[in-house]
Amino acid sequence: MDDLSLDVKPGAVTGFLGPNGAGKSTTMRMILGLDRPTAGTALIKGVPYHEIRRPLRTVGALLDARAVHPGRSCRAHLLALARSNGIAKSRVEEVLETVGLAEAAHRRAGALSLGMSQRLGIAGALLGDPEVVMFDEPVNGLDPDGVRWVRHLMRSLADQGRTVFVSSHLMSEMQLTADHLVVIGRGRLIMDAPLAEVIARSSLTAVVVRSPHAGDFSARLASAGIRAERSGENELVATGAAIERVGDLAYEAGIRLHGLSTRQASLEQAYAELTADSTEYGARREGARNGDR
Amino acid sequence: MRGMAIGELGRAAGAEWTKLWSVRSTWWCLAGAVVLTALSALTVGGARATEALRAGGAATFPASEPVVTAAVFAQFALVALAMLAITSEYSSGGIRLTLQAVPVRGRMLAAKALVVAPVAFAAGVLSGGAAVAVVYAVLSGDLFGGLVTLPPAEIAADLLGVGALFALVSVVAIGAGAALRSAAGTLTAVFMLLMGLPLMLAMTGAPVALEAALRTPLPAWLALMGSTDEKIGAPLYPAGEGLAWLLAWTAAAVAAGHAVLRGRDA
Repeated sequence: MDDLSLDVKPGAVTGFLGPNGAGKSTTMRMILGLDRPTAGTALIKGVPYHEIRRPLRTVGALLDARAVHPGRSCRAHLLALARSNGIAKSRVEEVLETVGLAEAAHRRAGALSLGMSQRLGIAGALLGDPEVVMFDEPVNGLDPDGVRWVRHLMRSLADQGRTVFVSSHLMSEMQLTADHLVVIGRGRLIMDAPLAEVIARSSLTAVVVRSPHAGDFSARLASAGIRAERSGENELVATGAAIERVGDLAYEAGIRLHGLSTRQASLEQAYAELTADSTEYGARREGARNGDR
Repeated sequence: MRGMAIGELGRAAGAEWTKLWSVRSTWWCLAGAVVLTALSALTVGGARATEALRAGGAATFPASEPVVTAAVFAQFALVALAMLAITSEYSSGGIRLTLQAVPVRGRMLAAKALVVAPVAFAAGVLSGGAAVAVVYAVLSGDLFGGLVTLPPAEIAADLLGVGALFALVSVVAIGAGAALRSAAGTLTAVFMLLMGLPLMLAMTGAPVALEAALRTPLPAWLALMGSTDEKIGAPLYPAGEGLAWLLAWTAAAVAAGHAVLRGRDA
């Protein structure tokens, strides 16, 4: 990690994005006091993690769903966590119910599917009813129902005023869930902005103009300082300007329009542009899709 | 502030207690300790009785005497139990969650030791007691000349001694586990400390090395138990000194574990 500064706000889902090896998991481990930064601090509500008296009641985190003793039952695993932070026993049954593991409470953690392990990990994170929730790749291994469930869960946690910080490499999922995005690459901060802004800033977010005078209008736009490219005989794509401004310019220039529409970049496209320079393994291992650890 | 820290330690120990009893390895290790103590005590006692008969003497010995020797073997069942309490968390990755729940690393280590040591002590007294019963039942008969006796005070002292050995080596194993993290490494290190080191030192034959060998944990425990040196026929050295060495080794292992825990990323 190199000089990364960020501030995660309550009441919103903050997506934490970056290529494999960018340092997402390391950042989360530093916040939890598991890894020590060579310089700088990670504070939660202004205090270092190890100074929080019963930390599970303030921060609930899921780092690695498989990191549970394989021989211990789900219930015993949560019970031990609860005891360590003085959390009522009844909470264990509650969170098991919440994540849909009530039926599997007696099962050994090693016998769970990856999706069920994720649910157990989320149960552990929710156990202390924490104000801050951190999930590292929470939808890995979940079926579509599970993915939707995690999405709704994060939404409702944020709506309850909690801070939700979630890392993922599934852009389509993040686009549906996150309010705010933090993008890092090679340990450096690339972007820290609302989702809408990240998408609006992408060069692929553009205004598509259909006009029989596309050539003339293209010159007109250029003189107004708006980049425009012909994408067909009667079509051009203008970037860096709002649709209203493009329409007004056409009106002023007396150019007939047959169509005026916006094209939204997907988060995946916006993200690809942002991280084009910082994908550590992308260039050499193109197409290799590794889960982020 | 102080009361608060003790409360936190109590909660952390409660969690360790739950964790200890919720995995099968704990039960297997305890069963192993009982069986190992009884079987090796029977073997040692049988050999002792046979030898006494062959020598034609009628020298009796307390039923707990072979149990003390047996404990030297059986202690490794408790080493395994204690070691697993920490190394299994490193192998599964669960240590990160443990430290999320109890972020003060020394407190986490202390909680494990506080839970495992009394369990090991009880295991020593109980498996030692069972072994005394087995030894007496088998060897007090006429076949072995009725050489085995049951002097209550001596047996009680021996059983407490076995409990103390099990408790202290289990704490050594926890310290070593925190320092080394892997099960294989920890088991090897503890085995070498308990069995290999004194043997290697003694093999050099140098008087200084011999003296040093007697100060390693296991001979120190034998000194605590009042074992006599075969050559000089007197105690190795005072029991109090044996206890002091034993405690020093335990403290050193815990300090090493704590230093690594604090210094390395989890």
